[in-house]
Amino acid sequence: MSRSVDERGPGAPRLAPWLFLSPLIVFAAIFLILPLGFSLYLTFTRWNPLGAPRWVGLRQFEYLFTRDAAFWDTLQNTFVVAGGLIFIGMPLSLMLAAIFARSRGRTVWRSIFYLPQVTNIVAIAYIWQFLLDDRYGLVNRGLGLIGLAGPDWLTDGTWAMVSVVVVMIWYELGKNMLVFLAAIDGLDPQIYEAAVLDGASGPRIFRSITVPMIRPAMIFVTVTSFITGMGWFALILAMTGGGPRGATDVTALYMYDMAFQDLRMGRASAAAMILFAIIAVIAVVQFRLLRERAT
Amino acid sequence: MIAMLKYAVLGLVALLMLLPFADMFIGALRGPDDVFATPPNYFPTDPQWNIYARVFDELPMGRWFFNSIVVTTTITALQVATSTMAGYALAKYDFAGRDGVFRLVIGAQMFPFFLFIIPIFFLLRFVPLAGGNGLTEFGGSGLLGTYAALVLPFVVTWYGVFLMRQFFVTVPDDIIEAARLDGASEFLIFRAVVLPQVGPALWTLTLFAFVYHWNEFIWTMTITRSAPELQTLPVGIFLLEDQFNTLDQKSLQQAALAVSVAPVMILFLLVQKQFHAASGAGTR
Repeated sequence: MSRSVDERGPGAPRLAPWLFLSPLIVFAAIFLILPLGFSLYLTFTRWNPLGAPRWVGLRQFEYLFTRDAAFWDTLQNTFVVAGGLIFIGMPLSLMLAAIFARSRGRTVWRSIFYLPQVTNIVAIAYIWQFLLDDRYGLVNRGLGLIGLAGPDWLTDGTWAMVSVVVVMIWYELGKNMLVFLAAIDGLDPQIYEAAVLDGASGPRIFRSITVPMIRPAMIFVTVTSFITGMGWFALILAMTGGGPRGATDVTALYMYDMAFQDLRMGRASAAAMILFAIIAVIAVVQFRLLRERAT
Repeated sequence: MIAMLKYAVLGLVALLMLLPFADMFIGALRGPDDVFATPPNYFPTDPQWNIYARVFDELPMGRWFFNSIVVTTTITALQVATSTMAGYALAKYDFAGRDGVFRLVIGAQMFPFFLFIIPIFFLLRFVPLAGGNGLTEFGGSGLLGTYAALVLPFVVTWYGVFLMRQFFVTVPDDIIEAARLDGASEFLIFRAVVLPQVGPALWTLTLFAFVYHWNEFIWTMTITRSAPELQTLPVGIFLLEDQFNTLDQKSLQQAALAVSVAPVMILFLLVQKQFHAASGAGTR
């Protein structure tokens, strides 16, 4: 692709690439390396930002793991959210993509399905608060019309978690569908023609041809859904604030409140680091497992 | 029959996607008569179109709008500049350390955003000689009360660098060599010869950055919670939550949300082709 220095014409650029890269290098130093190092240091301290950080060794980790029941609850909630995105959200978006792949008016459908993705998360959260309002929300009004009494979507703990997961799936559906769609569009139509000639049915073709052939897209969506579900707390913060009584509190949100409400920067940093470690390990394992099964 | 079923499913999903937005627009138009009726009216009997004037009168909507535009366009411009420059260097120069930098770009994307909130918040607060800080004494607020705090942490987007690098790789070396032999400077080659070759990718990056940062919430809220004059549309609406508690204020909230959503939604519908061109780029 590029040539060695000797072959280059006059004014062979040695400095140029580094000049082009200089903003990135400076940024990496200040906004990547430095914060990660600072964060790692903070995990070993107790720090209320009014004073100076005090070194406490591994005490924050010990506290979170052995004495903080709420921390374990938030981890469990985190896995519920991520699991919902992977095991319900991904199959739904895959099925939708399969239906969508050979239909007319794709531009229109695509824009509609992608609409939540361009909407700010505060609007998403409030729109759904209105929809899910116990008495006057559209959802319970609709259920009332067919004679059903809808649950207290956001004030009952279990239902609040259901609501959060449903809204996340709703929000991510269009994005994941487009990833699958790109993969399905990339398949060779001749394979389908051969399968149809052999008399294979639609569902059979989907199961035996489409799904195995788009494995890379499935790996991509699984791993990104997992990472999103584990670390993304903006929607929950705006929609339920983690409530009622911690029922939808996820670890990332717990960490955020610990830092900016309780001003426990050391413990919050430790919580963030634990969550990151869990995400990193499981994402790598997922990636390996899914790739092995493919070969 | 199967075809009908197919379109029935697509139609149903489309309805599920659109209904929540419709609910917001309908809710915004309800007047006190509708809200206080028993049971409350779903469809407004007398649509209150002046609600959209009221949100600008009764809320600091103009300020939020201004902040959203300033912050979003600044970040977008900076990200396009840094992504194209770095992407070009990684794609078209051969130099010691290139693979290391490329690995950095890939690796940096693995760190979730929540890891950076606490440390970057305090790094900005402890910037020397800013916001009342001394050279070694940090009693002030540093950069926290400034636009810089909203912009600086987003000057580089690692994914953007990666994306642009992938596009620059496809630009033929010959045209770069030819320009170099003609005596053009390296920067001129970049700007006048190479950049025009990746026009569509540039638009894609611009749109994604714009939409993402128009909608950005957590960081902006963290920084501007105590600085109302810096709040953007989503953050301002969120932090004014308490003002929308009474029943007849709900329509005001819904109208404000509609205004916050409208600009990007219109932009998206106008240029959705570029959007979708990029949505599959991660997997192919």
